[in-house]
Amino acid sequence: MRELPRPFDRPGPPVAAKHVISAAAVPAMTRRTLLAGTGGGALALLLAACGTGDGVASQTGADTTAKASAPPRPGGTLRAGSPPPPTAVDPVTMYDGSAIAIVQLVAEYLIWLDRDFSLKPRLAEKWESEEGGKRWAFTLRQGVTFSDGTPLDAETVKASFDRLLDPDSKSAALSAFDTVLAKGGVSVRDAATVVFTLERAFSDFPYLVSAGNYNAVILKKDYAGNFTKKPIGTGPFLLESYDAASGATFTRNPKYWEPGKPYLDGVQIKFYADDQADLLALQSGEIDAQILSRPQLVGPLKGIGDITVDQVQGTGLTAFTLRTDRAPFDRKEARQAVAYALDRPGVNATVYDGIGALGNDHLFAPLFPAAPGDVPQRAKDPAKVAELLGGQPLSFTLTYDPPSKDYALTVQNQLKQAGIQVELEQRSSADFYGGDQDKDTPWLFSTANLVGWAGRATPSQFVIPMVKGGGVWNGSKYANSALDAAADAYDAAQTDDERKAQAEIIAKALHEDVPVIVSVWSGTVRAYNAGKFTGIQAHPSSYVDFSSVSQVV
Amino acid sequence: MRFLLRRLVAVPLTLLGVSVLVFVTTELVPGDVARTILGREASAESVARLRGQLGLERPLPARYADWLGGFVTGRWGESYTLRVPVRDLVLDRLSASMLLAALAFALLVPVAVTLGLVAGVNHDRPMDRLVSVTGLALGATPEFVTGVILLVVFAVRLRWFPASAKAPDGSSLLARLGHLALPAFSLVVLCTGYVARHVRAGAVTAIESPYASAAELRGLTRWQVVRRHVLRNSTISATSALGVQLQFLLGGLVTVELLFNHPGIGALLLSSAVDKDLPTLQATAMVLGLLYMLIVLAADVAFRLLDPRIRLGAAS
Repeated sequence: MRELPRPFDRPGPPVAAKHVISAAAVPAMTRRTLLAGTGGGALALLLAACGTGDGVASQTGADTTAKASAPPRPGGTLRAGSPPPPTAVDPVTMYDGSAIAIVQLVAEYLIWLDRDFSLKPRLAEKWESEEGGKRWAFTLRQGVTFSDGTPLDAETVKASFDRLLDPDSKSAALSAFDTVLAKGGVSVRDAATVVFTLERAFSDFPYLVSAGNYNAVILKKDYAGNFTKKPIGTGPFLLESYDAASGATFTRNPKYWEPGKPYLDGVQIKFYADDQADLLALQSGEIDAQILSRPQLVGPLKGIGDITVDQVQGTGLTAFTLRTDRAPFDRKEARQAVAYALDRPGVNATVYDGIGALGNDHLFAPLFPAAPGDVPQRAKDPAKVAELLGGQPLSFTLTYDPPSKDYALTVQNQLKQAGIQVELEQRSSADFYGGDQDKDTPWLFSTANLVGWAGRATPSQFVIPMVKGGGVWNGSKYANSALDAAADAYDAAQTDDERKAQAEIIAKALHEDVPVIVSVWSGTVRAYNAGKFTGIQAHPSSYVDFSSVSQVV
Repeated sequence: MRFLLRRLVAVPLTLLGVSVLVFVTTELVPGDVARTILGREASAESVARLRGQLGLERPLPARYADWLGGFVTGRWGESYTLRVPVRDLVLDRLSASMLLAALAFALLVPVAVTLGLVAGVNHDRPMDRLVSVTGLALGATPEFVTGVILLVVFAVRLRWFPASAKAPDGSSLLARLGHLALPAFSLVVLCTGYVARHVRAGAVTAIESPYASAAELRGLTRWQVVRRHVLRNSTISATSALGVQLQFLLGGLVTVELLFNHPGIGALLLSSAVDKDLPTLQATAMVLGLLYMLIVLAADVAFRLLDPRIRLGAAS
């Protein structure tokens, strides 16, 4: 029994999952991960054991689409669970999944990034590049008004991007636009056309003004950082109330530009600081869906009652970075040996609950349209490991922070079987990402480390900072002039074929040189009650688009 | 009275010491506050700009003096992360914690005292062993285990109680208490064994005392002896145990608050520490420190009121 109160009693080991959409946030141990290691698995098993097994199993996107094609039944309020945002909800600076979901219900982007990574016109009806990809013109949808009646025009869009590009904004979007679009690069051609003049040609630029760059929502010109108090957007719902402890309520926007949508009368987001509480609320019928589901927890619930788990591939990864300028990984053979010693399907099953896609030690996720298909998939090969090491022992220290603990333990175990000794060095997230970013921060300067990266909209958002010479997050200190040239050529490519050709050069260089081991690309899931609602889908970045959600007929 | 005055004077002095400890330790926690708030991808310029805005470049003593002055005068600042007034945030969470603690405590005292008395009266008999072993086993079971079982059975399967302790806004007190039933029950399960053991020990001592034997020889029934002599003496020894439990119920709950989705002050303490929200963390720690001291003081006063021997000793 407790003799003394101990507020930090029994913090369970954190897990790899973290509900931060971008890696913009330090993935420290969150409240939601507190119990993960202690109660999560047991709870899932207990719930599964208590299930009746008479319900719907997990479904694919195709199943969801088929259901969504049924005539929608208007009305109803969807109740969704989500962790409380760790910071104030501000579209300009937000980085966590809950805040992004709240904003995405109320405000919109020029372009929506769909679950298959295709771009869907929203506030922009069309876009085209000029001057070889150095300038982009976006034509706005006509007749769109903000919820307070203000019409959408090009000046409003310009103001939204000027706000993001202001260094004082502290927006994570600044890093997404880095070297591509600078302050002053946005102009108005006419009331319906916005022009972006880039610092360099960038063929994937539409992705950077899409939902893929989640801060890039279009807000009114006079937006002053008080989103939850004055929530004005063009989106399908109106934010009626917000409480940082309990949640948010939304009602249907009667002025929404898309006729007939949304089908729901309203949405209620309830905050649950813990995964288990969120899951139990879904099980008990207190909520109908989760915004941010964890595969390890919802997986065992497949087939229980009406709970459905939708699943989709993503572009997030855990980068296993090796310092190419320091022993033992200054030898390419040592890096390749580690890559060949890994059992990737095993990592996928252990760390990602089997929902990820196998990585091939380059930075082009299968979901990226330009992903090369002809780089042979690397697989576990003990004989190759022995050949590469040539009888020399290999041992190293692997540094990581708590969210990567499961991954680190799996790697240590797998490499041990191949005769490679790994000493684990776990740092707190604050320590791991702390220090001087130019001199000694562990995540950029340790011999080998694990860094979780949330999904990106374009491969260049990984390639340029992570492996290009002098890249701001080049933790491997990799330098390859051929890759650098291909990376620039990729961004400037005018055709898909040209883009694919450059992607192949980059991918093959990374696959051969192995500055970063990418064993698995993450997937995401979303659990919901299919007996009540249809049209709810998982999204690679856990985004929400509830404009097409309706009650089950 | 002199005892009470002495203790009351000690409270602010101790709190001053606590304030130094709280401020220095929270400031020394590894990691850069501005970097944590903005994330690893923020530029060095953005981080430096935020550090300046937060006043983190100023000397520690100057910041401590400002903070203490503000705390004493009710200006607790604004949360670094949530950008809301810290005082409103902390007091709101504290009131939620107090409601849960009050309900749990109101259930705990009669249950634990009754079970402790039953065990004491039947000491070394099967009933005593049953109460003691059950209480010990439940007390040793982590709250996330008992909590999950309660939730799965009563919220998910039977649906008698809501899974979330947070009642919708505008709910009546009765509805709010209904939402708090499962977490309160979970806490009672957790704490009963410990308090009951103390009551049992006091009861056994009282029953075996000469005055209890004399009372029985005078013809009082066992029940009368228990009611008139054993009950009061048993609760004396349990008072400090109840004080410790009250401290735990008010500020030491993290797992229960997270599991039952109760926005209490324990969860706030944890989140503010994880998110490096220093103004919230410091204010929460100070409020909890003050609460703990007041609870200890109340337990000591109750102890003296219940035990005339201490009062007489103090008077002499």
